[in-house]
Amino acid sequence: MELITSWLGNVPDFAVPYALAALGLILTERAGVLALGAEGLLLAGALASIGMQLALGVTGLSLLAGMAAAALVSVLFAVMVIILRINQVIAGLTLVFFCQGLTSLLGTLLEWTNQPIQGLPALALWPLSELPLIGRLFNQNLMVYLTAPIFFAVVWYLQRSTSGLRLRAVGENPQAADAAGIPVIAYRFAAVMAGAALVGLAGAYIAVLSTKMWIADMSGGRGWIAVALVIFARWSPWKALVGALLFGCIEALIPQLAAAGIRLPQYFVLMTPYAVTLGVMIWVALSGRGQNDQPGALGEPYVREERR
Amino acid sequence: MIDRWMHKAAGLVAGGLLLAAGLAQAEDGFTLKGEPKIAMLYFDAKNDGGWTQAFDEARIKIESELGQKIQFVEKVPESASAIKPAAERFIARGANIVIGTAFGYSDSFKELAEKYPDVAFLNGSGTTNGHNLESFYGRTYETHYLCGMAAGAASKSGKLGFVAANPFGVVNWTVNAFEMGAREMNPKATTTVIFTGAWNDPVKERAAAMALIDQGADVIGQHVDTPTPQIVAQERGVYGTGHHRDLSQFAPEATICSAIWTWERFLVPELKKIIAGNWKPAPYGAFMTISEGGGDIAFGKVGLSEEAKAKIMAARQAIIDGKHLYAGPLSDREGKERVPAGSSLSDAELWQMDWYVDGVITQK
Repeated sequence: MELITSWLGNVPDFAVPYALAALGLILTERAGVLALGAEGLLLAGALASIGMQLALGVTGLSLLAGMAAAALVSVLFAVMVIILRINQVIAGLTLVFFCQGLTSLLGTLLEWTNQPIQGLPALALWPLSELPLIGRLFNQNLMVYLTAPIFFAVVWYLQRSTSGLRLRAVGENPQAADAAGIPVIAYRFAAVMAGAALVGLAGAYIAVLSTKMWIADMSGGRGWIAVALVIFARWSPWKALVGALLFGCIEALIPQLAAAGIRLPQYFVLMTPYAVTLGVMIWVALSGRGQNDQPGALGEPYVREERR
Repeated sequence: MIDRWMHKAAGLVAGGLLLAAGLAQAEDGFTLKGEPKIAMLYFDAKNDGGWTQAFDEARIKIESELGQKIQFVEKVPESASAIKPAAERFIARGANIVIGTAFGYSDSFKELAEKYPDVAFLNGSGTTNGHNLESFYGRTYETHYLCGMAAGAASKSGKLGFVAANPFGVVNWTVNAFEMGAREMNPKATTTVIFTGAWNDPVKERAAAMALIDQGADVIGQHVDTPTPQIVAQERGVYGTGHHRDLSQFAPEATICSAIWTWERFLVPELKKIIAGNWKPAPYGAFMTISEGGGDIAFGKVGLSEEAKAKIMAARQAIIDGKHLYAGPLSDREGKERVPAGSSLSDAELWQMDWYVDGVITQK
């Protein structure tokens, strides 16, 4: 009982960054830009948010600073892949290494490393927070609750708004979108920046609300898991949310099992999230589901009137 | 047949000659050519709050002791392609004493030491040694034993938690010593260990510390590189013991005791020996006790009575006076005898430690 309660209570700290980062990547990739730079953008968001938190101490502003920093860094990526049409895989990887170096450097020079900060207090959603077993799921910081409306907003935008339809058109068939008068370059630029802002928010969550400090390379590979989650979810936000929750549940369970003194082979336990990813990927491939969900023009630069 | 014998005899004679030559070479120590010039390669940023910062703090003390500036470079990762250019640039600029700070520098330092026989190499937590190369590390089981005593004294529930990186010799001996120290103060104390699988992942360390506290642990020890477990302990209103440096800097209301590095106490005399000439590195590396300057403990401001502190300091004195903590009779938690009465673990057995004492709770 105790184990389940505290396990569920710790799930959001793992799941929310995955969910927000995956949502950001989906937004970018639905416009046809392959985004592999999430690991770097997480770090950019994390560092900027800690800096703002140390300077002003207003958590809302810190989260916005994380979003803004990641969006700003992504302009570099957008110029490379959309305007200069550099290979998107290489540009994405470069972005990761660039951000790792830059954030380590700035964090050290500005002496933001290891400075503990105050996060947000937990907010109990009464009466849900009094429920047995799952009560602690409803005793979280505000950002956890805000994740749901953010998902609704992005899904509504992509599925129900004209602008979202155009964005998806740009990602499926930019030639046709261009012929229909949609500004392809502008849409892709905006999608890269908006997606990066969400990834930056995920980074800010890790730094300001979860660990409450900055440590170089603290994203610890979570950006790569978000990239895998997007493929796993076949570019559908809701499936990405389910995937993020699944990962969050597994990762939160690992320390709980150890703390409860349950003797399992430890390296097997540490492997499970990745084994699950592999398993689901293979299942998706074999079952033939969702083969056509990938945005049609993903990873392809657009040049007007270029023959294919 | 005789022919073969002749060959064998000749081989033996030649081997003996080589051996003699080797012994002669080993007997005259290493002497610097020219004025000493020291350079350091840091594994991480100099203000990382832990491992590297402890070296940087030692550097400042060494500079004032030896009266010379020490050049350094930060964030040299554990790969040959990064270590060699950094070291060779220092050597090209005239450095003739190079100090490394990572386990992963071991092989590169061995190659560098052979390539530059006129340069002295020292490497913290390394494993390679030679004519002009010495690895050094502290006996952290001593300091963590004392931290365990502090934890045992401060705990009300007798349930201690420990956040560690990976289960191998260096970490296992701290875990066992922590529990043995805790039992010294509270014979019923247990230590539940969570291995995060990473040295530097604050997200996993936080989750581990939270889980331990949820399960009733009221003192959290640690052998990871960030102060996260201490900060969580402070947030949750329990105590903790630190590693690398005095972590009460980050969690003044939680950290009762820290196992700290005192590299300058080893490096200053060792560097003086190198400068004096005829330096002979320890053949299997320097592995320092508290008295030789590897590590020590620092009390925080909370959690411990004067009586407990006096007991801990008495145990510290006993260690300085030569008490070996892994002295027999000692059995592991399955009841198998690991150290027979009257003997104690050798250094090689310490490095290979893959068992836990009674009271340590881990995954397999």
